[in-house]
Amino acid sequence: MSTIMIVEDDPKINQLLQEQLEKYGFQTVNVEHFDRVMDVFIDRRPDLVLLDVNLPKFDGFYWCRQMRQESNCPILFISARESKMDQVMALENGADDYITKPFDYDVVLAKIRSQLRRAYGQYAPQEGERTVEVAGLKLFLERMELSMNDTKIELSKKEALLLEALMNQYPRVVSRERLLEKLWDEQFVDENTLNVYITRVRGKLKDIGLEGAVETVRGSGYRLRATWEDGQ
Amino acid sequence: MKLFLRDQWAFAAFFLVQLFLLILIFAMDGYWNESLVIYVMFLSVFFAGAFLVVRYLTHRLIYQRLSKPVETLEELTQTYGNAALCRALDEKSLEQYRLYKEQLHAYENKQRDYTTFIQQWVHQMKTPISVIHLLLQNEDDPKSESVREEIDRIKRGLETVLYIARLDRFEQDFLIEPVAIRTLTQNVLAENKRLFIRNQVYPELKIEENWRVESDDKWLSFVLNQLLTNAVRYSAGKSNKVTIRAYERGQHVILEVQDYGIGIPAEDIRRVFKPYFTGENGRKYPESTGMGLYLVKEICGRLHHGVEMDSEVGEGTTVRLVLSAVVPTLQERKDDES
Repeated sequence: MSTIMIVEDDPKINQLLQEQLEKYGFQTVNVEHFDRVMDVFIDRRPDLVLLDVNLPKFDGFYWCRQMRQESNCPILFISARESKMDQVMALENGADDYITKPFDYDVVLAKIRSQLRRAYGQYAPQEGERTVEVAGLKLFLERMELSMNDTKIELSKKEALLLEALMNQYPRVVSRERLLEKLWDEQFVDENTLNVYITRVRGKLKDIGLEGAVETVRGSGYRLRATWEDGQ
Repeated sequence: MKLFLRDQWAFAAFFLVQLFLLILIFAMDGYWNESLVIYVMFLSVFFAGAFLVVRYLTHRLIYQRLSKPVETLEELTQTYGNAALCRALDEKSLEQYRLYKEQLHAYENKQRDYTTFIQQWVHQMKTPISVIHLLLQNEDDPKSESVREEIDRIKRGLETVLYIARLDRFEQDFLIEPVAIRTLTQNVLAENKRLFIRNQVYPELKIEENWRVESDDKWLSFVLNQLLTNAVRYSAGKSNKVTIRAYERGQHVILEVQDYGIGIPAEDIRRVFKPYFTGENGRKYPESTGMGLYLVKEICGRLHHGVEMDSEVGEGTTVRLVLSAVVPTLQERKDDES
């Protein structure tokens, strides 16, 4: 299990990050006294550090330099400052990457994983994969696989995103707007494309024996129904 | 010279009147020697003339500078000459110059402090926004969606404030490098996805994969952000498409944002780039600050990009950014062809 040290002076962000990381199987270390960052660092030997730039007493750049004298572990800056100068400063002070506020959990997790992989190799223990489960239907978000009992099926990225939204929200309705937003990454998705993806997801579910599981709710959106349970 | 003559004509007139008066008094007393009168007149006029010439030569800088328009504050530090009046003026204007400079410095400092404060404040505000953003991230209900939209609005507002504050220090805050416009546009679109989706407007992207322009990606993103926000806002309910395309025009690459929305009245077009100008559309749409297009113009001016706008009421608006293309190297050309 990888240990991640969070150096962030806003207690709420600190706590939210901590909860999220622990949910995915990371161990987290917090800093309470911002003049003793190094003591915690040396004491706990984290595998990766998330570091805020604006901290009381000394700034993140200072701590980054201090940490670099002790260890080569990946250091990720999290900061509200998005100017090029600040990013360059961070990298020059020994950081490995830079995340700007406000950020998404997905981005932080992805960057943490890629840094850990780079630093400790492919054999680094796979941190708990994100999964969503609804009444026996299980979605593996990293592998993009869907499994029901013993049958498994591969999904495309967009299909996985769509199902994730539906399953997370189960048994409530997910609005079309929300689904469009989820699917929109570098390529935008319009209403027609969404219809296409819904049809594909229905097809995939049918392949593993689940029919009628994605229900259209007129005028609002879609809902997942555990039809397979009713039948049993 | 003109000013000098205008300044001294009273003296000349006074001198001549006095001269004639003196001669008149002598003549009335019965003393009249024609050649002596001519001699006296010649001598007096000669000395008066000499006086004026010397006066002009020693004080000419004053007259010259007084009749020229002022261009810089530094003119106050130039000396006028050696005459007593010149020296007094020198001293005075130097004093004035120092006073102005001091006040200017005070204001500059104040302005700088203020800009720093604004920047810091915007960055501080990002922390609560981050918290709300994180808290909502796993929520899918309509209420959270609505809060997310509002957060987007706050973010856009803060961004505008930040960029206005940065504009003052533009020279220290930009970096021209090759920018891949397709990627940049996709990122800006993704940032604004909620705005598009909520207004049921969809972007149509017509930009070649590897086209690159000379620009600063941060500032160009901000400009595009403003243009897209406008395009979506004025399309909502009327059309569901915004076209972003890039094409070549001579040595330039044109990045064009076209909407099919309500358009801008002809009498407003000339003024939309002025600060705080909102025009007729601004009155209809409450969110207009009148700063968006002004900032676009300002930023593009500093990046040496051209801005053009066409619009017709009821047909839509097209804004074009005139950018300079990065000349692809031979290797890249080969890659393109293969």
